Amino acid sequence: MNPKKPLDPTRRAWTKAAGMAAASVAAAGTIESCARPTVRPQPFAPVSIYRAAAYSEELYTLVRRIIAEHALDVRGKRVVLKPNLVEFDAHTVINTNPKLVHAALEAFRAAGAAEVRIAEGPGHRRVTLDLADAGGYFATVPDFESLFTDLNLDETTKVDLVRPVSKLESLYLPNTVLGCDLLVSMPKLKTHHWAGATLSMKNLFGVVPGGVYGWPKNVLHWAGIHQCIADLHTLFPKTFAIVDGIVGMEGNGPIQGTPRTAGVVVAGASSVAVDATCCRIMGLDPARIGYLQLAAGVQNLGQELIPQHGERIESVAASFAVLPELAGLRLSR
Amino acid sequence: MLYSEDLLGRQNADGGWSYFRGGSWTEPTCYALLALAASGTGHAVEVRRGLDWLRRCQRADGGFAPRESVQESTWVTALTLLLPPGTEAFDRSRAEAWTVDQTGRESGWAFRLRLWMLGADSSADSLSFDGWPWYPGAAAWVGPTALSVLAPQKLAKRGGPANPSALKKRIDQGLGYLLARRCRDGGWNHGSTRSLGYDSDSYPETTGLALLALHGVNNPKVAQGLARGEQHLAVCQSSAGVSWLRLGLGAHGRAPQAAAAVRAPHQPGDGSNIAEAGAKNPAMHGGVMEIALAALADAAHAGKNSFLDV
Repeated sequence: MNPKKPLDPTRRAWTKAAGMAAASVAAAGTIESCARPTVRPQPFAPVSIYRAAAYSEELYTLVRRIIAEHALDVRGKRVVLKPNLVEFDAHTVINTNPKLVHAALEAFRAAGAAEVRIAEGPGHRRVTLDLADAGGYFATVPDFESLFTDLNLDETTKVDLVRPVSKLESLYLPNTVLGCDLLVSMPKLKTHHWAGATLSMKNLFGVVPGGVYGWPKNVLHWAGIHQCIADLHTLFPKTFAIVDGIVGMEGNGPIQGTPRTAGVVVAGASSVAVDATCCRIMGLDPARIGYLQLAAGVQNLGQELIPQHGERIESVAASFAVLPELAGLRLSR
Repeated sequence: MLYSEDLLGRQNADGGWSYFRGGSWTEPTCYALLALAASGTGHAVEVRRGLDWLRRCQRADGGFAPRESVQESTWVTALTLLLPPGTEAFDRSRAEAWTVDQTGRESGWAFRLRLWMLGADSSADSLSFDGWPWYPGAAAWVGPTALSVLAPQKLAKRGGPANPSALKKRIDQGLGYLLARRCRDGGWNHGSTRSLGYDSDSYPETTGLALLALHGVNNPKVAQGLARGEQHLAVCQSSAGVSWLRLGLGAHGRAPQAAAAVRAPHQPGDGSNIAEAGAKNPAMHGGVMEIALAALADAAHAGKNSFLDV
């Protein structure tokens, strides 16, 4: 077990030059390869911000109100709820709370959906049902196992990407999400140590099947994290976002951060607009998030371009702590 | 015997096995075939049907795809090499060649040059060894590296590799990778031990799998891994996690019994950390992988370790 010969350590000049280059990119707040917008989502669908103090029974009423306010007609439709399940640690809050997911399940059923399923494909742990069990899904959602599809192990279809911004040309994707009429992305409001923020768009990494690509889905990282988020966003146009911001995560998200109470649920039919709004609630500048730049273009992420319902951003803003490396993503005062 | 009957009842009409239900996949099919072989109960017809299905997943490059409808060969190729030899159901030598040739993308000169230019400490252990990726063109990770080490180890034990020294070098690289990717708590997770200055915790299932691949390796890091594995086993609530830990610990002469009780899937967990706290009642969700791994752990406990024995 002899390690390969270490690389030549005499590299100070290269290191210095590389460091200066990296610093200049960070200061600009723009990822060079993310400068090209793929679509111009104009006009944005409205975004609603609702106060929610706790994971209580009031969420059941709240999600019904969301569906009504956004005039979601799901009668006879197949709806897939996609929470964010990553890891489980009793000392922090990594995953979408099952109470909110169950509230959505009940609300979409009450709205006349023909079928409502819960589906997720975590990126690190092999046995998704163990993760869901530990995360309280079995205890909260009656008959959870029969309602759940492990997207890592689902039937797949190969889909070609049209004008991808990532290095991917095609992806195998789960038939459960390809065949649904509405994909409801239900992330947790979290900072992310690579992407800046993980919200409804980043949550779609979970639809890429581990059964094909592995745990983690490392092909997405090599193809460009921001670019792959943008490509997945393009692949799934029939989405709605409901963000669990009741207790989010700040600092070293998405796994090792600190719980941060924000007391909000954010929802809307435009993932870009919802994620941009969530960034502002966390004190991050959406125009400095690479995948939002790609999906909408920096010039299209202004707050004035996103119709707003419910609470004002300023009234619920909860400046989330970020790692020093991500300080450049903060909103300018 | 009960596990065998359960597995036979879940065989698809096409001869393969699914993870839970639906179409056949290479991974559960390999584990089901391994478990049936370990049971010693025969079932030649069912095994032949399984192998016939598996053959349809071998690709022109010699590797295996994770399912029939996927075109690309992936890490599951290593699993096919763990199956007992002599079946002649597929081209084993080309599968062996494919597996031995795979390395993580970070092993390539372009990536290492980039690290050098960026000033990263590429002499660190974690970047000094070639592991195996889940998918060609991606980085190496603990799961596929552990399984891909086990496959050539079996080949070397059987004798007859075309280039024994090259095979040994490749195995040693994989073992070195596993030792370098140990978490600070002594065990293994998916392969990311530290990120942006923060240490990550190990998982039960990957700790057991890494220990299995490191059988026979005499190293203080392995001893620490065994201690962490026993800690995981004492509190693990995952049936698959328990099985991997039993296999891994058993490969080092520790012989843990099966869990005292298995929790039915409709009985909810207590919400405690699946890696850190809980009762000795792992949940069995009824998947083919869980059943096959439990059978393989039982067989190893009885003296036949299908991952190690030739």
